Amino acid sequence: MIFLLIVSFIGIILLEVPGLVKKKMWRELVAFSVYLAIGMALSIPQVLGIKVPNPSKAIEALFKPLAELMK
Amino acid sequence: MLEQGKIDSRQAILLIISLVLPTAILTVPAITVKHAAQDAWISIIVATMAGLLIARLVTDLSLRFPGKTLFEYAEEILGRVPGKVVGFLYIWWFLHANALIMDEYASFLCSAHMPDTPVIVFFILGIAVAACAVRNGLEVLSRFNQLFLPLFLGLLLVVFILATKDMKVTRLLPVFDKGAIAILKGAATPASWLGEIVIFTMIIPFLNKPKEAYRVAALATLFTSFYLLVSILVAIMIFGPNVTGHWIFPTYNAVRVVSIANFLERMESIAVAVWMFGGFAKVGVFYYAAVLGSAQWLGLKDYRPLVAPVGVILVALAALCENIVELLDFLATAWPPYALSVFEVGMPLVLLIVALARGKGGEGT
Repeated sequence: MIFLLIVSFIGIILLEVPGLVKKKMWRELVAFSVYLAIGMALSIPQVLGIKVPNPSKAIEALFKPLAELMK
Repeated sequence: MLEQGKIDSRQAILLIISLVLPTAILTVPAITVKHAAQDAWISIIVATMAGLLIARLVTDLSLRFPGKTLFEYAEEILGRVPGKVVGFLYIWWFLHANALIMDEYASFLCSAHMPDTPVIVFFILGIAVAACAVRNGLEVLSRFNQLFLPLFLGLLLVVFILATKDMKVTRLLPVFDKGAIAILKGAATPASWLGEIVIFTMIIPFLNKPKEAYRVAALATLFTSFYLLVSILVAIMIFGPNVTGHWIFPTYNAVRVVSIANFLERMESIAVAVWMFGGFAKVGVFYYAAVLGSAQWLGLKDYRPLVAPVGVILVALAALCENIVELLDFLATAWPPYALSVFEVGMPLVLLIVALARGKGGEGT
């Protein structure tokens, strides 16, 4: 599983990065890297079986007073 | 300009229908019927009014800034830093909503059709297909949608007509049994779905006739509400409010009971085809909004490099959802205040008021 995930990340990098470097789009390259890093940070722990906090839970807690009205 | 494509009014109407309808007929009926029982159809009418007001608000705001999307004029209205904050929140909302849409779809396919297939397969396939469409731009997405949506809407209507054999109008009685509060609670969820028209702010700049935006938004909302109303009425008139409220996918079950002369039956395959397509289109529009929004927010020259990483984030976010009961509970209780009060009404209203007060933007048409 983790192997497949890393292969797909490498695939995405090979697909996008050479074109960006060739066209000297550095800003785009930085944005691409940051987004991909967020994606990795969310997906690799899940594959390894580490619990990642679910943002829906945080939103549920934040809107609890209003959500109570909907019960 | 990040996006060179232009779409016409008809494509825009169909795109907005795809933006709201697919998951609306999948998950909304159960939630609304749970609150309002046989009066759920009144809830939908109330929600339609709210939806039309949101559509009007969003269009008013967008037309003051011709050729600009939400992310560009938020900065112009509020100033650089607050505008960036608003933009960030919208990017988050587009991603989170999209992950929830993926969850709704994948859990529908898993629980109703392919119980042995791991749920991650649906996430990856769905996102991969949507990513191709998004990479090719808005024009490709809307042409694809224009080609298939009318066919599927027609098929769905035929299936509903075939289901009339098992309907009893008396199951809608007594009217107003649950009272106004229950009806309003039932209206909150469909209203938050119709409010997803906020994404229209990302599409208006690419209309070839922006003046028709009001008509586009209103027609699309009415059309969506009509289908939502029919699907709720079909479910209630076939099963009654108690059974409908306890099912996860009442419309799907309603389609399943169609049987004409022991010959024309198992129509659910048509419904599943409609939902598969619709889910892809809906995910595609949200995906497009998130990617284009991110590119404008970061001041990039091209949005395409972001398509693949955003897809990874979407799959990872969607995979966080543990089960369908948790998901439906979130959609029934936390989602309406979260989406409706902040992103669909709150922020657009604040933006419009500040724009009027500071005299930003054109007169609006």
